[in-house]
Amino acid sequence: MAAHEILAATNAVVTLDVALPGIVWPWLVTVNMWAKSIGTGVIFMLFILLRTHPESVKNLRFLTAAVAFVFINIFLLFTLADLHQPLRMWHIFFHSHMTSSITVGAWMATIFLGLLTLLAFFGFKKNDTAYDKLLLWVTLLAIPVTLYTAGLMAQCTARELWQMPTESAQMILAALLAGSATMILMGGNKLSYEAKQSLGVILGLSALMAFIIYMSEYIFGPMKAEEVAAILEYIKGDGPYTVMFWLGQWMTFILPMLLIVLSRTSKSESILKLAAVLALVGLAIVKHVWLIIPQLLPMS
Amino acid sequence: MQLGFLVDLHLCMGCKGCEIACKVENEVPLSTWRLRVKYVDVGTFPETKRTFTPLRCNHCENAPCERICPVSALHYLENGIVNIDKERCIGCSGCVMACPYGAIYIDPLTQTADKCTYCAHRVASSMMPACVVACPVQANIFGDLDDPTSNISKYIQVHQGGVQVRKPEKGTNPHHYYVGGGNATLNPLASHRVDGHSLFTKITTLPVGGHH
Repeated sequence: MAAHEILAATNAVVTLDVALPGIVWPWLVTVNMWAKSIGTGVIFMLFILLRTHPESVKNLRFLTAAVAFVFINIFLLFTLADLHQPLRMWHIFFHSHMTSSITVGAWMATIFLGLLTLLAFFGFKKNDTAYDKLLLWVTLLAIPVTLYTAGLMAQCTARELWQMPTESAQMILAALLAGSATMILMGGNKLSYEAKQSLGVILGLSALMAFIIYMSEYIFGPMKAEEVAAILEYIKGDGPYTVMFWLGQWMTFILPMLLIVLSRTSKSESILKLAAVLALVGLAIVKHVWLIIPQLLPMS
Repeated sequence: MQLGFLVDLHLCMGCKGCEIACKVENEVPLSTWRLRVKYVDVGTFPETKRTFTPLRCNHCENAPCERICPVSALHYLENGIVNIDKERCIGCSGCVMACPYGAIYIDPLTQTADKCTYCAHRVASSMMPACVVACPVQANIFGDLDDPTSNISKYIQVHQGGVQVRKPEKGTNPHHYYVGGGNATLNPLASHRVDGHSLFTKITTLPVGGHH
């Protein structure tokens, strides 16, 4: 489907316009989303495992909080690095404009980091009762923290590829996928085989659902808005991001799904770990492509 | 008071006087523009025509840039102008991404967002924006949309059916209007952009500050 019909009768060609702003949100924002998915995802996984495999996961409380703490700090660091005036970051807290997803996200992420620090402290002190009480609130807060980037993308008018319903689903699925993959890798000998298999199911199902949403947008998106059709041209045919898009889809979704089925039939932890590594690396590629292509669209 | 702009594309001849006046008035650095004139060539040789479309901030009633700005650096003035406080801007580029008209850029000298303010500083002194003064054919019409006797209101009344805004479907309610526009000039997706076939292509690669 053509992105937009340029009539032969008009044969209109832009012969002078200033340079497009180019990539405004670069790979720094990709790392932001990727690290946030891991940081919130491991919290979701710990919350689930403490209820389904409590004996297996009881020694992972501190490690999980520490990993989440590190990745949320990476997310915040890259967010800061992406600012053109990073030393004015404090303006967000003292001149807050609450209609902006950036403001809401900054506040929530800051509170989330504070609670994570407390969680890590309880984990270090092996105060399981306090840890588990706090974990409930940390898990609840992790949901909007991982969702806020979807709101930010949805506020970008005319970047019609980014719609809140699909992006919020993709953000949650990315957190589940990244969280389960990270947990499989960091569980080591502490995590039982059954717990890892459960994580494998979460990884496989989140990969499947995310893949379905991407393919739905890929096929049906162009029928809804000319901007979507134009943007998707960058990942179709000879588009500049076609290879990267499909590399990401295979690495993040298709291969991990197949490998998880294989690991269950062969009872192989090594294959499960391979699926987890592929999903984690691929997620960065998938997120990057989806972040960049709407920025290639001429707005003027 | 609700200030607005109207450009009569029948009159515009692409002289870029407005663009230069804006650059000088607002000290807009090299490689960036608050206002620029887009050329679109229409037709097949020998039946060809060049169209000119001045593009600037649309000062939307429902401005996505104002909504997404985390620190209210972008804000409404009482006269309807969407203004920017560069001292408050943190350079997150959210406004650049949110603007459906590509009207906002990051100033390479201050590393903050910047855009057309309808020359708010001149308007505050009861002067017209620099681009209006510079236009040799009075294609730029500026005034109070709430005042039915203003020039812009009268122009809209006379040209009712021919008054357009860019991307009306986005719900931004721009206060920047065009008369004599067409799909090829107002819709960025309705014309080809061929690499290497633009006039003054290298203007886009000038380093900020230049070589003296």
